Amino acid sequence: MTRVAILRYPGTWSERDFQHALSLVPGVESDILWHEDADLAGYDVAIVPGGFTYGDYVRAGAIAKLSPATHALRRFADAGKLVLGSCNGFQILCEAGLLPGALVRNRGLEFRCDWVHMRVESDTTPWTAGLHGAILRMPIAHGEGCWVADDETLADVEARGQVVFRYTDERGGVTASANPNGSLANIAGVCNEGRNVVGLMPHPERCSEALLGGTDGYRVLANLAPALAGTAPALYR
Amino acid sequence: MTFTATIRVFPKSEVRDPQGEAVRGALRSLGLAVSDVRTGKEIVVTFEAEDEPMALDAVSRMGRELLANPVIEVYEFSLNKGVPV
Repeated sequence: MTRVAILRYPGTWSERDFQHALSLVPGVESDILWHEDADLAGYDVAIVPGGFTYGDYVRAGAIAKLSPATHALRRFADAGKLVLGSCNGFQILCEAGLLPGALVRNRGLEFRCDWVHMRVESDTTPWTAGLHGAILRMPIAHGEGCWVADDETLADVEARGQVVFRYTDERGGVTASANPNGSLANIAGVCNEGRNVVGLMPHPERCSEALLGGTDGYRVLANLAPALAGTAPALYR
Repeated sequence: MTFTATIRVFPKSEVRDPQGEAVRGALRSLGLAVSDVRTGKEIVVTFEAEDEPMALDAVSRMGRELLANPVIEVYEFSLNKGVPV
């Protein structure tokens, strides 16, 4: 059984959606852990869900990075365990320095609540094994999802294959109109150098069953058990 | 000793400031010849430290570890003894 810890900070709101989506994946069980006493011992995977932790005060994710759960998460990630952050979770992972770059106000200042397409650019993470080149359709809901980095960081991230998801049109074209927030190079999600930490702005937990209008989120979450069992169909082991 | 730090945080010059751009457009609509606007925030912190060097260290930590994200922002501060006037 793959054990997943879902972190809940003050203002997290997608933790129950993640727990529900993960309940659909065979061989996976999950617990929701309160940030002040999140003990990650015994877990294989940690998920940082979306929300508006601490009201997005200072910057989205900035205050959450000083929480005990984030310190525990850093040790967890350093030990090579798997971490996924979505939306505000992605912002927290960037603020905590676990992922490169930062997420700033959307170009145009709009809060974007919509369905987007994105292409899987790297299948060498446990979350995207077997999905290389797949065009996934997922919902977004964010005001600060514009991924930025300095030129050197962007070049490094591209060269090392740390771009995991890129906004595209439905045929895979990287166009300005497919970019919902102005992210550099249409980047929707990145991983760390160790490839065990992945963050993305879209919400896989909100598209994991047909009733919700899409199942592409399930394709990402369903990689959990095989990745940990060493049966993932791609390069990640 | 009690100190008061006034910390100002701004987006780096190479990072787009969409809020500043929106304010620039609004100021121009007043008929003013506004060429550029940068928005930031000011945070006033009253705190205790043993002496001025320790206080300077403390303010640097505030800026570096929470108030500014070095990927996208810069900060500057002024430090005074006592409570805000």
